[in-house]
Amino acid sequence: MEKNHPINFHINSVGIKTFLTDKMMIIAYLFLALAAFGVIEMIYERYFLLSATAFDAGLNPGNRDVANAMKEAVFGHGGEVKREAPWSLYIVNYMYMIYVGSGIIFLVAMAELFEVEIIVKPAAGFLTLGLGMLFAGLFTIMMDLNVLNVYWMILSPQFGSGMWLMMPLYMVYIPLVILEIYLILNHQKEWIKKVAFMIIVVGVLVEFVEFYVQAKLFDMNSARHLWTTYPILPLYFMVSSFAASLAIMGLYSYLMCKSALLMHTLERGALYFVLALGAYEAIAYLFIDRKWAEIILFGDFKYYFYLYILLAVIIPFILLFKDYLNKYFKLIASLSIIVGTFLGKAIFVYGGNAYPMSDRFGAGFEKYGEYEEVKEVIFFMPPWSEIAIVIGSLGIILFIFRVADLFFGVSVVEEKN
Amino acid sequence: MNYAMSLDYQSCIDCKACEVACKEENGVQLGADKQRIWVTQIEKSIFGQPFVALHPSQCNHCLDAPCVDVCPTGSSYFAEGGIVMTDKDLCILCKGCMEACPYDARFVDDTHVAVDKCSFCYETRLVHGEVTTACQATCPTKVRLLGDIDDEESDLVKMLKERKFYVLKEEEKTVPKLFYLLPEHDDYYAMNSVDPSTTIYTWDTFKPIVEKAKAKRKPQWKKIIL
Repeated sequence: MEKNHPINFHINSVGIKTFLTDKMMIIAYLFLALAAFGVIEMIYERYFLLSATAFDAGLNPGNRDVANAMKEAVFGHGGEVKREAPWSLYIVNYMYMIYVGSGIIFLVAMAELFEVEIIVKPAAGFLTLGLGMLFAGLFTIMMDLNVLNVYWMILSPQFGSGMWLMMPLYMVYIPLVILEIYLILNHQKEWIKKVAFMIIVVGVLVEFVEFYVQAKLFDMNSARHLWTTYPILPLYFMVSSFAASLAIMGLYSYLMCKSALLMHTLERGALYFVLALGAYEAIAYLFIDRKWAEIILFGDFKYYFYLYILLAVIIPFILLFKDYLNKYFKLIASLSIIVGTFLGKAIFVYGGNAYPMSDRFGAGFEKYGEYEEVKEVIFFMPPWSEIAIVIGSLGIILFIFRVADLFFGVSVVEEKN
Repeated sequence: MNYAMSLDYQSCIDCKACEVACKEENGVQLGADKQRIWVTQIEKSIFGQPFVALHPSQCNHCLDAPCVDVCPTGSSYFAEGGIVMTDKDLCILCKGCMEACPYDARFVDDTHVAVDKCSFCYETRLVHGEVTTACQATCPTKVRLLGDIDDEESDLVKMLKERKFYVLKEEEKTVPKLFYLLPEHDDYYAMNSVDPSTTIYTWDTFKPIVEKAKAKRKPQWKKIIL
């Protein structure tokens, strides 16, 4: 491909046909189309579904819209957000994408810092992948929020809120990562290397702050004891995320780099984090609030929990422990970790809501609405719009990565050229 | 001024007049799950004989409310009078407050795409000089009593000095301000409708807890802008 050179930076010329018909781009478009469907459904449910107040009913008797809104209130789904379980799949995907994406960035930064030779070539590709995951996570959370009011995060900041602290963190972190990719792509200049070193050091600090802030956010929800009694929550986030980060990097090296040595190195790293994750979960449930632990270990969540342990710990351990040469074992282990750790995050979020807050009087669980049954475990399937947005967020990762690869050649394959 | 409420819950007859009055007075969204206040029914049995315990409830306006701490925009805030308020215009629907509330007192108001909860009828009654909430005013058996716990001469404090009471989920250390009154002459029956481990308070034992929490949080009390 022909290259242009604006401001000492190589940009490949990419034709519109390549842009539209590239295989990875087509897959990205399909995922993005799914996300778009979800967004449209979400907007309809959140902003256009008829709802009425007692004032409407009194002031507009006989009005058809009010009648339909009242019908929806009685026979409908009761709105987009369930009072008993306000956080659901959006938060699971946000956590997963943000943690794992930043985990990849952290690991690459560390490798750059200690000059790990094998990471040098695919570093820009890994960082772009991590960046794509960050944007996928942010997209998911923006869809969860009332985006029309998000500007109040800037106009009315609450510095003590963990959720608010996330915003300045990403406003610093994301430009740093982009700058880091830029510097890696221009590795000839000595002074750029020095700046890159500083950025990596700052990036390492940001990484730790991020895990702390996320843990603080969950820990502030004092009524949900699964979240508040998980011992050293930032450690869980780190261990689980690094296992998934290494698994995704392993998958990337299998698909993009075709480097057996790189894949082997990453999988060995994943094995240590998988073992740490297994040990952490075994110890954690000695401390977790009994009400929540019973639901997850022996109650309605038990099959999901054991599936999570099987996928995230046991299968990867069996496939990676003996250091088999078979690359398919490593591939299966990677996929197993990726799916397993996602399930683990889902159990963490859904499990936090599982024990009903309605046992307020200590005399038994209460009904929330006149038409509901008394429930001893809270679980709701997310709406289709939410599922579509979460699956569709994969399109953002693919799109960002492929665009960066086409124009800047961030992947190891392009860098060889 | 420090608003709080007592509930003589054993007098509740589950007529739901309070729920209707709340919706009518405050323009709350219609829907069974969209309630600022509600009456809980818990079915139990003693020696095989079934009975239903009725517990009217709402936002506890906790003095040390966790919902305020998690809010990233100040939409949830401590207002003058110790009322925990929500400003729907500032709400970004992060739902952190709903997760933080031990009483599930919050819900999403779909008409405003924001979180809603009980405000002790501040916007509709207290600001106009009234001294009761809609639920209190409409209750035929006089379950609720709103008052000022800073005023030792208020009807509420006088009531709390006479009657024993308990608060919900005290282990969460939120210092709630809904006081559930035990029946004057039937402690045994009353204790069958709550957890045996529930702490029973007198005003003298609870007042220091209130004062400590108020001293911690009063600097955060803001003027209410309607």
